[in-house]
Amino acid sequence: MFTSMHHDAPERPDERRGFMRMVTGWLGAALGAIVTLPGLAFLAHPVRKDTVSGGKEPLDVQAMGVQVKPGVPVMVEVRGELKDAWMRSPDVKLGACWLVREKDHDPVKAFSTVCPHLGCGIEWAEKKHQFLCACHNSYFDLQGKVIEGPSPRGMDELDVKLSPEGRLKVAYRRFRLGSPKKEEA
Amino acid sequence: MSTQAHSKVRQLKAWLEDRTGLFGSLAALMNEPMPGGANVWRALGTVALLLVGVEFFTGALLAFYYAPSAATAWASTAFIEDQIWFGSLVRGVHSFGSVALIIVAGLHLLQMALFGAYKKPREATWVVGLFILLVLLGFALSGYGLPWDQSGFWAKLVETSILSTTPSVGPVLERILQGGSQYGNYTVVHFYAVHVFVLPALLVILLKLQIHFNRRHPAPAPWWMDKSVVAARTEPYFPGQALRDLLLFALALAIVVAFVVIKHGAPLEPPADPASNYVARPEWYAIPLYQLRMYFEGPLEIVATMIIPGIVGAVVVALPLLDRSPELSPARRPVVMLGMALGLVFTAALAVVFVRKDAQDEAYQKARKQVAAEGLRARALAKTGVLPTGGIDVYKNDPQFVVMSLFKEKCGNCHGLDGQGGDEGPEFFDYNSRAWILGFLKDPQGPMYMGPAKKTKGMKPVQGTEEELAALAETVYAQTGATDVKADLVKKAKDAGLFSDKDCDSCHYIDEDDKDLGNTGPNLFQRGTIDYVVRVIEAPDHEVLYGEKAKMPGFKGKLTPEQIRSLAEFIVGLKVVSKTSP
Repeated sequence: MFTSMHHDAPERPDERRGFMRMVTGWLGAALGAIVTLPGLAFLAHPVRKDTVSGGKEPLDVQAMGVQVKPGVPVMVEVRGELKDAWMRSPDVKLGACWLVREKDHDPVKAFSTVCPHLGCGIEWAEKKHQFLCACHNSYFDLQGKVIEGPSPRGMDELDVKLSPEGRLKVAYRRFRLGSPKKEEA
Repeated sequence: MSTQAHSKVRQLKAWLEDRTGLFGSLAALMNEPMPGGANVWRALGTVALLLVGVEFFTGALLAFYYAPSAATAWASTAFIEDQIWFGSLVRGVHSFGSVALIIVAGLHLLQMALFGAYKKPREATWVVGLFILLVLLGFALSGYGLPWDQSGFWAKLVETSILSTTPSVGPVLERILQGGSQYGNYTVVHFYAVHVFVLPALLVILLKLQIHFNRRHPAPAPWWMDKSVVAARTEPYFPGQALRDLLLFALALAIVVAFVVIKHGAPLEPPADPASNYVARPEWYAIPLYQLRMYFEGPLEIVATMIIPGIVGAVVVALPLLDRSPELSPARRPVVMLGMALGLVFTAALAVVFVRKDAQDEAYQKARKQVAAEGLRARALAKTGVLPTGGIDVYKNDPQFVVMSLFKEKCGNCHGLDGQGGDEGPEFFDYNSRAWILGFLKDPQGPMYMGPAKKTKGMKPVQGTEEELAALAETVYAQTGATDVKADLVKKAKDAGLFSDKDCDSCHYIDEDDKDLGNTGPNLFQRGTIDYVVRVIEAPDHEVLYGEKAKMPGFKGKLTPEQIRSLAEFIVGLKVVSKTSP
C-alpha cells in the first residue's frame, strides 16, 4: 500500500529504495505481529481453561427428605465452595433447585431453577400446578417436562443423595442453554 | 485479475478516498519531508510513541483480568502472573515497557535540549514534551500501586503522605486521591481510574498537541549540517526514517522482553500487609529525589520534596524563554550545556549514593531476600485460590496455618502452645525438649504441666539430685526419637536403676517389652513420637495411656486420620529449633 502511494522518489537507484520499502514494510508487520499475537493468546485463556468451578460434590441443601410433600415443590438454595478465578470462597450461594416428590414413597428429585431456554429463574405457578419461566412463558410439569413455551428441553435434573440421617444432598451443576441436549456448561 | 476488475477496484479506492481522505493522509504522513535526511536521533520520538502504543495495548489486555480493589488487586495480579496463558509476558512487557518508555522519552527530551530543538519558535513543543514526561511519570506512579503488593502499597503510602504535606491543599488532595481518611478499596479503585482513564485521555491530548506543534514548526536539522546540505539531503519519512524508527523500536522491545525473561516477569511482592515493618523504597525514577530528601530533615523536608524539584522544573519549562539566542551548536551554548551536565551528574550522584548505601546495608539486603522468598511462597499459596477477605489472607492456605486453626479450635481451650501454659492441660511449646521433661519431673503439677488439669491423684515431684533427674529426663527424652540423645546419661540411669529407684515404675512402663501394658500412669515407650501423640489424640483413655484417669476426650472419629496426624506433627514440631537440632 505504501509503495503505491509514493510519488516523488528522489534521485536514487529505484531498486535499492524498493528493497528498503519492502524491508521496512515487513519489519513493521513482523513487530506488529510479535506484539499482538501473545496478546490474543492471553485473551483466549478462558477458552483453554475454566475459571469458575465448584459444587460438583453433593452439597447439603438444609432439607430433610421427609420435608418434601408430594405434589408441593420446595425451592432450596445450594451453597458450597466456589473457585472463581483468583478467589476461593468457602461458602457461597451457587444457585438454587426445586425439590419435587410426585407421589408418596417416590424418591425426591431436584431440578435446577435455571431455565434451559435462556437462563431465567423458574418459579412454581401454584394455580396452574406447573413450573413457569416467566421470562418467555415456558411451562413444565412436575417431572420437569416441557408442556408449552420455547424451552428446547425439560428442566435440568440434578443428582440427589440421601444421607443416612435423611438429609438431602444435591450436586449442583450448570448446563448449556438453548440446546435440546443436556450438556454440562 | 482482469482489467475490468482492476478498474472496479480503482473506482472503489477513488470512492473511499473521496469520502474519507485516508489514503491521502497516509501518503502525506509517509512522504513528510525529513530536513537533512533520516537520522537515528529523530527516531527517539517515534519509538516513544510506539512504546506508548505497546503500553496501551498490554494495559487494555491486563484490564481484562485485573480487579481493582484492596481485596482483589493482589490475588487477581497473582492469577495473571501465574495462571493466565501468557500472563507473565503481558504483565512483564507492560511493567518493563513503562521503564523503557520513560527512559526513551527522557532521552528524547535530552536530545531536544542538546540539538536546541526547544528554541524559538518551538516553545510550545518543548513545554508539551515536558508535560508528556510528567504524565508518563504519573502513569508509573499510579500503576506501581495497582498490584497492591508490599512494595506498591508502601511506596504509595509514603507518596500520598508527601502529597498531604503540600501547604493548604495537601490534606484535601490526599483524601480525594486515597478515597478516604485511610487506605482501602477506594484507594486502589482511584489509582486505577487515574491510571486507565484520566492519564490516557491526558496523554492522547498532549501527544496530539505535540504532533501538531511539531508539524507547524519542525525540529531544526542537526547543527553540524550546512543549510545547503540540509536541503540536498532532505528525503521523505518512508522508508528511510521509518526503517530507523522500527529498528530502534525493535531493539527497545527486545531489551524489554529480555528483562521479562531474565527477571521471570515483572516483580510481584507479597500481598500488602499494613501490619508489617516493610522497609519502603521509592520507584527507580524517584531515587534521586529520595536521596535528596535525606539531606533535609524535619520542617526542611519540603525543600527536597517540593521546593528544589519545583525550581528545577520551572527552569526547565522556561528554558526557551531563558535561552533566546538562535545558536544551535552545543559548543556555543556553554551555559545550557553546563547546566544540563551538572543536573545529570548531580542526579546520577544522588542515585549512586543511594544504591551503594543499600548495597552495603546487610540488614536491608537480608530483608530483600526474605521479601523475595515470601513473595514466591505467597504466589504458590495463591494457586488454590485466595479467600474473599483479600490478598493477605493467602497465608490461610498454608497447611501450617490450617493445622494451627484446627489446634486453636479443638485443643487450644485446654492446651497452650506459646509458652504461657494451658488453661486445663499441659503446655506444648517445646514439649519434646529436655528442659520440658526435666521441668515435668521436678514439678508435674506446675502451671506448664498437669497443674491446670487439676487431677486428683496426679504424679508427685521426683526427688533426687540434679544428676539423677537429668539422667532420668534423658531416659524419657530418648523415647522421642531425637538424634542427639546423650547415651552415657541414659546408661547411667539404667545402671543405677533410677527408673525403679525413684518409683517411676510403679505407675509407668517404658521398655519396649512392656509397650502394650497399661498402668496407673501412661506407658512412656516412644513417648513424644508422632505415632504416640496420634494415639493420645485418638484415645487418651486407652489403658496403655491414661486409662480411666484421662480427662481429655478422644478425637477418633471426630477428626479425620489426616487431621489427627497433622495435629500430632504440629505438636511434635513445636520446639526451640536451636536446642534440639544437632
